Amino acid sequence: MRLKDKVAVVTGGAQGIGRAIAVTFAQEGAAVVITDVNKEGVETLAQEITSQGGRALALEADVRSEDDAQKVVDATLKNFQRIDIMVNNAGIVRDYLVVSMKPKDWQDVVDVNLGGVYNFSKKVIRPMLMARSGKIINIASLAGITGGRGQANYAASKAGIIAFTRALALELAAKGITVNAVAPGMVLTQMSERVRSFTQDKVKSLIPLGRYAQPEDIAKVVLFLASPDADYITGQVIVVDGGLGLGPRW
Amino acid sequence: MADKEKVLQKVQDILTDALGVDEEEVTEHASLVADLGAESIDFLDIVFRLEKTFNIKIPRGDLFPEDLLSDENYVQEGKLTPEGLRVLKEKVPYANLSEFEKNPDVSGLANLFTVGMIASYVTGRLASQAT
Repeated sequence: MRLKDKVAVVTGGAQGIGRAIAVTFAQEGAAVVITDVNKEGVETLAQEITSQGGRALALEADVRSEDDAQKVVDATLKNFQRIDIMVNNAGIVRDYLVVSMKPKDWQDVVDVNLGGVYNFSKKVIRPMLMARSGKIINIASLAGITGGRGQANYAASKAGIIAFTRALALELAAKGITVNAVAPGMVLTQMSERVRSFTQDKVKSLIPLGRYAQPEDIAKVVLFLASPDADYITGQVIVVDGGLGLGPRW
Repeated sequence: MADKEKVLQKVQDILTDALGVDEEEVTEHASLVADLGAESIDFLDIVFRLEKTFNIKIPRGDLFPEDLLSDENYVQEGKLTPEGLRVLKEKVPYANLSEFEKNPDVSGLANLFTVGMIASYVTGRLASQAT
């Protein structure tokens, strides 16, 4: 069990990649605090985990709220006395060409995707500083590196996550806290359903490994970064895209 | 009233731990930055540990007045203005500013924060909590 006795917080844990991360972490021995605006979703997941002998706590929280972030940290410390791992996974899409994108579509995506990373990272720093250890893992995206038509807001927020990851890694390294990011490509989740239906599997044919990612493909890499095997890695972005982001193939 | 010597001892222990330096280096007159090599994140760490050890709340900017430096009313051309000096004296009444006032360059601000100054701050906070 690679995360035995560790305590992890996962935002956006009710579905998709976040759900896979929470399940994987619990299977590896961690107590998992799962947050989402979807209260029923996280409660259902927490019950699933505990019914299988794992430890889980479900909390409704909006990552845009600094108060909610503080409440999650306080509840985690109250229930588990520590925070070892913070996975900033919560994210939304509002895909429009820039010319059609309303200010709210822009701001909501930036506030949830990037603002949420700031809010939760800020709040876990104190307990991690006191413990002289911790791992913050941010879920970015291949779009944050390559861009994407119709996804200027999403791509910008994910690019921001990558830069934030590097900056925070520099700030916290001296105190034994690592900060890394994972940048998934196309993952089989509800969030990518629209894009996949729109492209009618054209994207799939562009993926060298010939398939979309399963959420578990991403969760396994997050698990690595959360484990002691990644103790000497910080400020890095691991792209998990099946080769989608690679250059021309001939 | 808090025993000043006991407070100083605890502060020294905290700084030894937070800064990863030898106990002998953490003298009362040692400067956190110049002598003990403290960086920005260390100040945060120190505040957290002081709060926990002494059960006090240290509002942001109270012990280490970081906000002072970003206010153009208080800092101009790299030096504290008379207003900036006045505010600094209010915020850190335990610091010895006599030398600093002769040349209030912001680069020298960090050197004001000595082990003794922090102990004085904590002693004062504990005393005001007790009354």
